[in-house]
Amino acid sequence: MMGELTQYIILASILFGLGAIGFVTRRNALILFMSVELMLSSVNLMLVAFSAFRADMAGQVMVLFIFAVAAAEVAVGLAILIALFRHVKSVDINKFNVLKW
Amino acid sequence: MEKPRLMAETVERLPARHNNKILTGDSKMDMYFILFAAMAVGAGIVTIIAIDALISAMGLLTVFIALAALYLHLHAPLVAIFQISIYAGAILVLVVFVIMLLMSPDEQLEKVQKNLQFKFMGAFLAACMIGIAVVGVRDIAERVSSVSLPENFGDPALFGKYFFGEYLLHFETASVLLLVALIGSIYLAKKKL
Repeated sequence: MMGELTQYIILASILFGLGAIGFVTRRNALILFMSVELMLSSVNLMLVAFSAFRADMAGQVMVLFIFAVAAAEVAVGLAILIALFRHVKSVDINKFNVLKW
Repeated sequence: MEKPRLMAETVERLPARHNNKILTGDSKMDMYFILFAAMAVGAGIVTIIAIDALISAMGLLTVFIALAALYLHLHAPLVAIFQISIYAGAILVLVVFVIMLLMSPDEQLEKVQKNLQFKFMGAFLAACMIGIAVVGVRDIAERVSSVSLPENFGDPALFGKYFFGEYLLHFETASVLLLVALIGSIYLAKKKL
C-alpha cells in the first residue's frame, strides 16, 4: 500500500498528464479548453492534499484564488473563441492560422 | 463547534495510533479513494478522447464531481462545495453554452491531430509528469504525514478567517481580475471588433 499523500500526488499527476495529452493532440479548440481545466483541477487536488497533510489552511484558500483565475480564463478564452469563429467559421485550431507566419 | 466532516463516525472509531485523522489503514476509506480516483481518471480519459465536444464536457463534469468527493475526504468541505457550484456549475455551463453556440450537431472534427509527432509529444509530456511525480515524492509521505490536524481544520469559519484576514489583499486583487475579465470578454464578444 502506498503512502497516503503519495496516492493523491500520483492521481493529480495522472490527471495533469491526461490534460497535457489532450492539449497537444486534439484539434477542437473547445476540447483544448477543457484539457486546460483538467490540468487546473489536478493542481487544485494537489493543493488541497498538501493542505490536509500539512494541516495548513492556506492551501485551501489558494484553491479559491485558482477558481477565480480559472473563471476569468474561461470567460476571456471563450470570448476570443467566439470572435475567432466569426472570421473562420470553425473551431478547428489548425484553421486558426491568421497569426502564423 | 461541530466539525463539518464527512464520515465523522469512522474517524472516531479509529485506533489511537493514528494521530493523523486522514485515515490511512482503513480499507473502507481506501475504497473511497480508489472509487473516486478511478472515476476521475476514467472520466478524464473520456474528456480527452471523445469525438463529440458535448460528451467531452460531460466527462469533465464527472471529473469535477469526483474531485469534489475527494476534497470532502481531505477535510475541505467548503472547497468541495465551491468546486461543484463554480466549476461544475458556472464554468462548465459556460463551456456547454459555447459548444451549443458554435458547433453544429453533425460537425465532428477529426479526433486527434494528423501528425504523429503531436501524439508522441503528448505521450512524452504525460510520461514526464508522472515520472517527475514518482521520483519527487518517494520520501515525501513520511516527512509530511505525521502532522496531526487541529480539531476545526477545514471549518468554513476558519476558512473565512483566513480568507478575509490574511488573504484580504489577494481577495481584492482577484475581484479586480474578474472585473477585467468581464470587461474584456464583453468587448471581445461584440459584433464588430
